[in-house]
Amino acid sequence: MNRVRNTKLILWLISGFAAAIALNRFIFGLGVTTNLNDRTPWGLWIGFDVMGGVALAAGGFVITAIFYIMKREEFHPLVKPAVLTAFLGYVAVVFSLLIDLGLPWNIWHMIIYWNPHSPLFEVGWCVMLYTTVLFLEFSPVPLENFSRYARIRNFLMKYRFVFVLLGIMLSTLHQSSLGSLFLIMPFKLYPLWYTSILPIEFFISAIALGLMMITFESLLSHWIYRRKPETDIIAKLCRAVVWVLLTYFLVKMIDIIVEDKFAMIFNGSWQSFLFITELLISTIIPAILFAVPKFSRNSKVQWTGSIMVIVGVVLNRIDIGGLAMLGATGDSYTPMWTEIFISLGIISVAALVFLFAIEHFNVWDIQPKEPDALPHTLPSFDYSSKTWLGNPDVSSLTTHSLAFVVSFAVGMFLIPGSRLHSKGIENVKVNPASGFDTLFINGNRDDRFVKFPHQAHIAWLKDHNVSLSISYGNNELSINSIDSCQACHHLSLPLEKQSNCWQCHSSMYTKTNFFNHDWHAAKSGANLRCKDCHTPAETRSLRSAKKCTTCHPSYKFAAEVKNGKEKFYALSYTDAMHDLCVSCHAAESKKLKDKPNLARCTTCHKTYPEGSNGLPESLAAGLKWKINPPKFNNVILPEEKLVK
Amino acid sequence: METLLNFARGPLFRLCFALMVLGLIRILFLDVWAALKAFRKTDDKRMPWKLIFSRTWEWIFPFKRLKNNFQLYSVISILFHIGLIIVPIFLFAHIQLWKESVGISWISLSYSWAFWLTTGTIIFAVSMFIGRLVIKQTKLLSRKQDYLWLLLLLIPFVTGFVCANLTVSPATYHFFMLVHMLSGELIFVLIPFSKIAHCVLAPLSQVISVLAWKFPPMTDDDICTTLNKKGAKV
Repeated sequence: MNRVRNTKLILWLISGFAAAIALNRFIFGLGVTTNLNDRTPWGLWIGFDVMGGVALAAGGFVITAIFYIMKREEFHPLVKPAVLTAFLGYVAVVFSLLIDLGLPWNIWHMIIYWNPHSPLFEVGWCVMLYTTVLFLEFSPVPLENFSRYARIRNFLMKYRFVFVLLGIMLSTLHQSSLGSLFLIMPFKLYPLWYTSILPIEFFISAIALGLMMITFESLLSHWIYRRKPETDIIAKLCRAVVWVLLTYFLVKMIDIIVEDKFAMIFNGSWQSFLFITELLISTIIPAILFAVPKFSRNSKVQWTGSIMVIVGVVLNRIDIGGLAMLGATGDSYTPMWTEIFISLGIISVAALVFLFAIEHFNVWDIQPKEPDALPHTLPSFDYSSKTWLGNPDVSSLTTHSLAFVVSFAVGMFLIPGSRLHSKGIENVKVNPASGFDTLFINGNRDDRFVKFPHQAHIAWLKDHNVSLSISYGNNELSINSIDSCQACHHLSLPLEKQSNCWQCHSSMYTKTNFFNHDWHAAKSGANLRCKDCHTPAETRSLRSAKKCTTCHPSYKFAAEVKNGKEKFYALSYTDAMHDLCVSCHAAESKKLKDKPNLARCTTCHKTYPEGSNGLPESLAAGLKWKINPPKFNNVILPEEKLVK
Repeated sequence: METLLNFARGPLFRLCFALMVLGLIRILFLDVWAALKAFRKTDDKRMPWKLIFSRTWEWIFPFKRLKNNFQLYSVISILFHIGLIIVPIFLFAHIQLWKESVGISWISLSYSWAFWLTTGTIIFAVSMFIGRLVIKQTKLLSRKQDYLWLLLLLIPFVTGFVCANLTVSPATYHFFMLVHMLSGELIFVLIPFSKIAHCVLAPLSQVISVLAWKFPPMTDDDICTTLNKKGAKV
């Protein structure tokens, strides 16, 4: 059995499969490829790929600290592979983040739009900087092969100590700040995990995981290339990890006892089982195993222990990243198989790059040879003319690329069709505002109002010369009539002067088509014949239809106008209201010095004491509000019924 | 039938289309890779680029070659290729499917263009098939797959033509549609692994044939080994 080739084959198969899923994710979105929703927006990809991935990459800063700062020279053979693993780990984190983010093209925003109060801001910056530092730390190794870059390499080698220090510093910062992310969720995260010292726990467990990751990576790569494992050096790491795990355990236990949560560990809920399992796998069992000197030198125990710590700590990250929140949100989330394969695929690609680096650069003291690169085994021919062009470098190139292509195609085959053909975002119907002089705007009836003093606004518009233009997309809506209703009621239905907002903006969160074709064609409606609007000889479509303004000359469209063709889209209710209200408020707040908060969210969206809803009592008694849980933008599957 | 149609239109199409696109990218990559390697190995780095370009051009737009024998056959072959490439890509119905599923669309053929191009392609394919059978020289050069490919390419064109132009009962329509899709998908799968791969490799073939004559130094033994004549003198 050719271990290298088969390992690579499996990795190529998985990455091809994952690539197909990733393609679907970018074309059709997260609804097709994940089980996430607005209530559980962080799933496996954040828990495992990002949080776990960062933790798995901790080996880099741990080993550089041991080697460069503590000057333990005997760990030299582990430094380069560990730094490489860390670098690839971070690149993998960045890629999985891109896949998980809803709007991945906005990822650069963090560089320009600063929010220094957010832990995520710190995490983001640390990841960016540390990835760069790791790149600079590792790049002398591949540069060795290119003599013309010797000057760059010498420069990097000269200032290596700076990078090492920076690397350790940045890692310390953000391994812990990943924990700080969850400090703002005391009510969401289950109490066994939630603690104010989460950052410290994250940092200590990252050190343990880093040590075990170096162990595992060394054992695995030596197994693949059939080399003798570095058991003696690894045994030292295993002995060191006992102390780290012990510290972690003590810190965690003391915190739990001080916060009076000890009884929760044994309260029999599934979270308590999860907690016990996690603690056993990640800490207790490996610590006991490695504490015995005889065991820590045994390579089988090294395998078992390192895998346990890795699985345990990554499980801890998954728990905190989502699993331990399910109790509070009441949601049920199990990762879809596509999510699992994306995670596996990212790991596979990283592993392939790792193997490539090992085979082509001096990551190890002795570079392994590609066992298939023997002449006369598999000659390569040009595919069109069948001309022979010499022996291939890597003879498995043909096999592996074929494996990738086939598994990609299988991935495309298995993508669930029902999700691909989903009807998109659920259309939440808008309910009209109620009230008289003061309107109570509550489009989705979730009992969260905006009080809108209609009469006061009319009076204001009459007294003040308000003029502004709102633009969205390619369209512009001008408001400059001082005392006309049209300032806000910009477009009314035929025979009406002030149609209500909800009549066209009839969907809460999505664009809607406000042109009612069937009404125009119906006998009971406009009673028009097809040829009244459509040119007879052509296919009946929007293209061949007359413009609305032919029959309704008074219409002034603020509709989306594209290539001279109207598309009758009304913005979603929320967008329309925000556009109109906020634009005007923002313009006015600049003019009025005494009302700086006019355009702030809380000016309109007020929280009222529970039960009162801010309604006058007489009105509240008269109106029976149907109180529903707030509606989310759920993706509907075809087999489900549309919620009207 | 509906289920089968949906299966052929959904998962099976995705599988076959992915195989075709990635398969073509793969062989193109492997070809370029091999060419680059061969180039790196040779001592003689001169390449007759002008000649390569003019020859490639001549093969892709073979109007110059019309001076040769079998002028009719060559003209038919060119016309056949035009319909074969344009119709599947620019047919309105096909674009509509893309638009509905992925949301992308591009310019489409008008009905009459589509009709005449399809009819033309069918006629040219049949006449090429007959030509291969009748003309002595082409018959000698033809392999089995050359005939089979023409027949296979005919299936989706004929069935598609029937579906688009004839008024038939729904059951018949569905049957023809199924055959149309399945044969199209079979073609997709076969493209990267057969002679049809020339659709992406054609621009490279002249470069390859130039490179193939540039043997790296000391390769005579290797050549003999590959030809199963170890020890023979070159």
